[in-house]
Amino acid sequence: MSAERYNRQIILKGFGEEAQQQLLRAKVLVIGAGGLGCPALQYLAAAGIGHIGIVDDDTISLSNLHRQILFTTADIGKLKVEVAAKRLQDMNTQIGIIRHPIRLQKNNILDILSRYDYILDGTDNFESRYLINDACALLNKPLIFAAVSGFEGQLAIFNTPDHLTPSTNYRDIFPIPPDKGEVANCAENGVLGVLPGILGTMAAAETIKLIAKIGQPLTNKILSYNLLTQEQYTINISHGGSYTLPKTVDEFLNMDYQDTSEGPQGYKEIDASELVKLQQLESTILIDVRERHEVPILDKQIFTQVPMSEFGAFMSKEFYQKHVVLICQHGIRSVAAAEAMQEKYGDAKKIYSLKGGIVKWRDHFLKP
Amino acid sequence: MEIELISFGKIAEFINNQNIELDGIADTDAFKQYLENQFPALKSMKYKLALNKNIVQENTEITNSATIAIMPPFSGG
Repeated sequence: MSAERYNRQIILKGFGEEAQQQLLRAKVLVIGAGGLGCPALQYLAAAGIGHIGIVDDDTISLSNLHRQILFTTADIGKLKVEVAAKRLQDMNTQIGIIRHPIRLQKNNILDILSRYDYILDGTDNFESRYLINDACALLNKPLIFAAVSGFEGQLAIFNTPDHLTPSTNYRDIFPIPPDKGEVANCAENGVLGVLPGILGTMAAAETIKLIAKIGQPLTNKILSYNLLTQEQYTINISHGGSYTLPKTVDEFLNMDYQDTSEGPQGYKEIDASELVKLQQLESTILIDVRERHEVPILDKQIFTQVPMSEFGAFMSKEFYQKHVVLICQHGIRSVAAAEAMQEKYGDAKKIYSLKGGIVKWRDHFLKP
Repeated sequence: MEIELISFGKIAEFINNQNIELDGIADTDAFKQYLENQFPALKSMKYKLALNKNIVQENTEITNSATIAIMPPFSGG
């Protein structure tokens, strides 16, 4: 280890050589190399965390760049994990960066998490967050949780006991996930880039505090942060009890995390190239489930408009097309629509949802 | 009695931070019912209450000048 590189934190009163050694020995897994993951990764790597794993199966798109600050315009289309790993390795050549270009699911998460000491959840959906929470609880791994909504953020440390309370987990606050569309839907996904930047950096700080055993990390607490007022509000978490947390691997594997890519869910999530193929079939209907005020406006000759608010009425009518492709802004509402369609039609029709939505495949939709 | 109400995220869009006068509401169960009557949108949402900065896990007595926070889950990243 080059002491020179870390000199400014080693000379810090209350930190020192021993804390630096602890960082170097630590293995931290950052899940999601997005708005939260990018800044967290930068500071963890710069601080000298010895082994950093990055999990993300997504590629970089133009609308990521305002908040996912490890990436440049030239990186669009590349795997986030690959670009992030290279940037971080260039910045700090003395640490190990491990790439996991996969989507965490029930059948792979326990294996990956078990290789690390600390887990930082920077994902962007409830399915992943409950999956990660339960896996961390099962494996007894400290979980640093950060999330944003609008101009606000939440930050917490789970599965880590303190001198007052045995360890708590996310289900002690929110025992069951919200229904699909209850909280996160495509139209509500707006975010000022600096907000996940702040929360991701705070998550990195909590991780470093935990590892180096300094200060008072947010164990058994959840902090709410408001960007517009710069106010913070911290709530103490205690055991809730009335929820299902898998206690064994078998129980875990039998949980339902509504992981859409896990199958067999009936409908299929597709990318733009599959969309093009389906578009050429006579028996395909393309349905835009966004509300009528949303932009960009698509060609109504090609895309049938059925906003989610009118979807029930549409479902009560019959239509002849066999292939049904559902499209929305980010591919979240279209999954809810696909589930509803699948439930009604079963094998009678082929149902598809465009993964990532219009934003992800903007070039496809806006080409002249 | 008077309590201070603090809300977060989507809930703050329809429940402002405010001091409210509570009469005949002695505990958090009754308060939850009162809230959902006043703000029916809450009924279909997941949220958690905190009384004086402690998560409410069971029915708890509310005393004068208490602070109650209403927190929804966030998932964005």
